[in-house]
Amino acid sequence: MARTKIALAGEGGQGVQSVAKILVEAGYEAGKQVLYIPNFGVEQRGGVSIAFCQIADETIGEPRYSKGDIVIMLSDRAIDRCKTYVDKNSIVVYDTSVCTKKPDVECKEIIGVEANRIANEQLSARVFNIIILGVLLEATHVLKLEDIKNAMEMALGKKFAAKPELRDLNYKALEMGMKLVKERAGAL
Amino acid sequence: MVNKLIKEDTRMFLTGNEVLAYAANSAEADFMYGYPITPQNEIMHTWCKLLPKTEAGFLQTEDEISAGFSTIGGILAGKRAFTATAGPGNVIMQDAQSMAEMMRIPFVCAVMQRGGPSTATVIYAQQETRLTCFGGNGEGFRIVYSTAGHQDLYDYMIKAFNTAWKYRFPTYVLADGYQGKMREPVTLYDPASRGITMVPTEKALLGPGEIGVDRKSVHLRNTYNMEEELMEVLDGYKADYERMSEEVQEWEEYKAEDAEILVIAHGIVARSARTAVDELREKGIKAGLFRPITIRPLAVKPLRTAVQRARQILFTESANGQLAQMVLEQLYGLNTPYTTLYKMGVGVTGDDIVNKVESMAAAV
Repeated sequence: MARTKIALAGEGGQGVQSVAKILVEAGYEAGKQVLYIPNFGVEQRGGVSIAFCQIADETIGEPRYSKGDIVIMLSDRAIDRCKTYVDKNSIVVYDTSVCTKKPDVECKEIIGVEANRIANEQLSARVFNIIILGVLLEATHVLKLEDIKNAMEMALGKKFAAKPELRDLNYKALEMGMKLVKERAGAL
Repeated sequence: MVNKLIKEDTRMFLTGNEVLAYAANSAEADFMYGYPITPQNEIMHTWCKLLPKTEAGFLQTEDEISAGFSTIGGILAGKRAFTATAGPGNVIMQDAQSMAEMMRIPFVCAVMQRGGPSTATVIYAQQETRLTCFGGNGEGFRIVYSTAGHQDLYDYMIKAFNTAWKYRFPTYVLADGYQGKMREPVTLYDPASRGITMVPTEKALLGPGEIGVDRKSVHLRNTYNMEEELMEVLDGYKADYERMSEEVQEWEEYKAEDAEILVIAHGIVARSARTAVDELREKGIKAGLFRPITIRPLAVKPLRTAVQRARQILFTESANGQLAQMVLEQLYGLNTPYTTLYKMGVGVTGDDIVNKVESMAAAV
């Protein structure tokens, strides 16, 4: 692996930046080169929020890239804004239970996941973004599950200590996300 | 004296704003004045979070006018003070910055550029390049370091304090919202471990001893009665500035030696240009990079040499040619043709530069 370029986009408040922070922290702790740029407007909630992440074995040059290896779109507006980061080598992930349309892009693969519905019905709305993290992990294999769990411990350790069931909930969400990719239609 | 937190080499994974707060502490800064504006807020947040350990000081003023003047006041009172701002905040702080220029105050300021004009975006741009170099009603007797990532932020923030206190011109670390908000690994160190001696802080006013016996009187002036009186002072400043220029000017060349197409870029865009140069070389196109690190004063001689060597020049910026305007003035008499790639308030990627240089190479 030389360099993996990840764009995570959703509505402000969906937890896109929180997940990106866990992802890059995991990369850093695993000894990778990482670079993360949060990109959002002035709103506290709403508006498109994008996290540009790069995880590499060697020093990273450009902070922003033109095309992502994986582009995750978690709302209709995120689809509109992020089409530009997609080319024939990109994997595109979108949430079929939030978006009302399928991304109209030419790419390597489009993966639709029902993360939002699953979070609401089976786990908790609050771990929607962690399901997405699981999806990302399985779709890229750029990091190991253990790396992510360590980084989650660093970010959420205090909350986990106070309420150990939160750890299980987050782990379940991660595994659920990974399963969504493993068992997707057309998977090898 | 403040408590310095970084005593040995420490590898950390930080945002650029956090790096700047640590760097100011390592440079022995003992007071920050500031007013919140995105994307530089976390400099003051981090500075404040560290206060119990550093025992430094902080004052949040009512606006940037006050933040700028308070910084000057703190310095006059003997503090190693600094400030930070961005965008419209940088605009309204210009009055104080001009005063620092006029009174030769070692004013240190980090500028994290955001989109402009006006409120525009809170994200990123290189649109305060001209403002930071030449803002205010003065002549731009300022030193401006343009950084390209977190190691630079740490290195040049420390250097900015030394430059300011040595030469007594306002000194800036010019970065941007990407660098402020992005996270990447960085090594923090004690400047002494790199052979860096910090220029001591001196009280401008109320120094020790008796005036006329132990020391000369201090007369800091911001107002002059006669036209000629002013010009005499400014001529002196100009001579000081020119004498100092060769000592402080810094630049970086990357594969520029045999470059047929030379990219001229500063700050974070120069970093994208490095990625592009590598990719273009793989494709057999002889591209190279000239990156001015001090964009004020510019390293004119090396710049002219590099430009003369190349067949074509590409200026690229996240602004409409603010650096190019300053550079072109220094290239008078040379006739190397140039092309531009300007994205106002938007990041320039490696691909953007690769595509542009390829079209330039094909046109020859």
